[in-house]
Amino acid sequence: MEDLNPSAHSDRSPVFPATRPDAPDHSCPDERGGGTDAGAGPPPPLRYFEQMIDHCCDYAEAAKAQGRPIVGILCEYTPREVILAAGGVPVCLCGGSVATIPAAEQYLPANLCPLIKSTFGYHVKGSNPFLNWADLVVAETTCDGKKKMFELLGATMPMYVLELPQKAEDPDALAHWTDEVHKLKARLEQQFQVRITDDKLRQAIRLMNRERGLRRQLADLMTADPPPLSGRQLLEFKSIISGIDADLRQYESALEFYGRGLTASDRPTADTKAAKVRVLMTGVPLVHGAERVLELIESCGAVVVCMENCTGLKPILEDAAPDEPDPIPAIARKYYHLPCSVMTVNRRRMDSLRTLAARFRPHCVIELVWQACLTYDVESFHVRALVENELGLPYLKITTDYSPSDSSRITARVEALVETAWARRAP
Amino acid sequence: MICAGIDAGSRSIKVLLFDTERSQILSSGIMDQGLAQQRLAAQLFERTLREAQVPRAQVAAVVATGYGRSAVRFADTTITEITCHARGVHHLVPDARTIIEIGGQDSKVICLEDGGRVRDFAMNDRCAAGSGRFLEVVASRLDVDLPTLGDLSRDSLNPAAISSMCVVFAETEIIGLLTEGTPAPDIAAGVQQAIAMRVVALAGRAVAPPVCFTGGVALQSGMVRALSEVLSCPVRVAPLPQYTGALGAAILAGSRPRFGTPP
Repeated sequence: MEDLNPSAHSDRSPVFPATRPDAPDHSCPDERGGGTDAGAGPPPPLRYFEQMIDHCCDYAEAAKAQGRPIVGILCEYTPREVILAAGGVPVCLCGGSVATIPAAEQYLPANLCPLIKSTFGYHVKGSNPFLNWADLVVAETTCDGKKKMFELLGATMPMYVLELPQKAEDPDALAHWTDEVHKLKARLEQQFQVRITDDKLRQAIRLMNRERGLRRQLADLMTADPPPLSGRQLLEFKSIISGIDADLRQYESALEFYGRGLTASDRPTADTKAAKVRVLMTGVPLVHGAERVLELIESCGAVVVCMENCTGLKPILEDAAPDEPDPIPAIARKYYHLPCSVMTVNRRRMDSLRTLAARFRPHCVIELVWQACLTYDVESFHVRALVENELGLPYLKITTDYSPSDSSRITARVEALVETAWARRAP
Repeated sequence: MICAGIDAGSRSIKVLLFDTERSQILSSGIMDQGLAQQRLAAQLFERTLREAQVPRAQVAAVVATGYGRSAVRFADTTITEITCHARGVHHLVPDARTIIEIGGQDSKVICLEDGGRVRDFAMNDRCAAGSGRFLEVVASRLDVDLPTLGDLSRDSLNPAAISSMCVVFAETEIIGLLTEGTPAPDIAAGVQQAIAMRVVALAGRAVAPPVCFTGGVALQSGMVRALSEVLSCPVRVAPLPQYTGALGAAILAGSRPRFGTPP
């Protein structure tokens, strides 16, 4: 995946085969679409999202032709509603490709998180069409690595950075953040010569709530035992552009497809080989192209039933209130509640992990930390303590980057974790 | 029932035959790892069978473990080194609560619950510092063989400080020390201390005694002392340290339901 362009990702083949000759069947427990259903291969909604980048390219190109501004975003704290209400197209620019990292390292230190390097590498190479089309990039003061990278990006791109207060529980923090969102609104109005009305904001809130709600319902399918799809498949149900109507309709048909429930004969009994260790993943996001660790985990007889990260449930757990007299504070509040590790103290993340563990009933927790992501790396101390002492589950932390050089070592550790989890479950 | 464990490590292959009814090791063998991993493992397996005078058909189950486990195609199943070393050490040293295993290319710390089940483990990731490979590089720099390197450290009065986290950089650091005239025993002792500190850092938390040391590097005299100094607690070398993985694999091969596969 040299370039984030149409079709570059569509010839992706499964890179990580099963490691043991007798490995349990790694496919989805319920392979509908094969067998008696019409046609082999993935179900239609999944096939649709496998072409997600192509769809987004078409959408952005058409929008641009109609004069809609393209607004790049780099973090889940960005209030997409404000961009949508300005008539803009919010598109996530986070890089997930190892191929763009060497280009980034001409400017950035090697010892920096791969997500930051990959994102910037696309800029250096000019190989992310969305970044090339962007009329503005909106970002926040989250981690130091990103913050300083934005300065370099801002040298050649129109850039707007919101200040994110990081004392999550400070009484003044939300008020300050709300001011920042107001300032973003003013900047968008001024740059794009539009008026962002309260009505437009409320419409955008409803649209985003609908999108979040659908994705939440899809994620909720994983509470089933066994779940109707793999964690890797679930991760496909996303779009780097928010609020595309066709995407929302596909989420609905995916829900209909997978939500039918397994029939008794489909459902593997607990003693068949299809029974898998349920994993809750937490930590850093797995942005498009950087799904390697998830694939490795699921090649070891495990199924990732819950992802408490920015490409999983974290940003979609809460909605914004659609009917408040002033929509900006409602939007600001929703986004400010995101429990990212840049916050101190980040109690909300621990609360979220407790709730999600109770709901998704994992047998173990795997935390993924991108190399040099200091905030998640340090915060893992609290996560481990919570998982081991309070939830009473095995915990594994994987620190890695986008290069596949440690894949076999990661596999060995995950297999050992799966063995440990099985041994604990055995009577 | 006779079961076999095959530990296909990065530097050597170990095979062990185990009689589960009599809880007895029948025979064992070791050879250097090479390119044709599958063929080497098969040869060693045949040789071990011959020594024990056990026909192949009498072996009820074969479990492969170690870094090259998936290359051992004739094994019935594979189980990771973590689970196998834990089982093997638990068999030999039932009261062990912490296992330090240092092999050719990696090192691990395994915490056991009562009953020998794995509670937690940590493993080095990309880097070979803190592994047997590190010692090999140092031995070749000092122009001695591995056992001599282990003995050398006994004569050290002032272990050199080796701070590099990476084998390649550590080698450069050692070249620097040699140029400065640092005596070889001090370098040997310094390297052992560096490995011990790195392995203990892996554990990250309090290490519960009794601590058992296994893996090929446990044969290095001086390493046990370095580890117990860094941990400030006694460290015991497992009997048959090179074979605990293969032993665990053989024992697990005979257990039903098998570890590592869904019951």
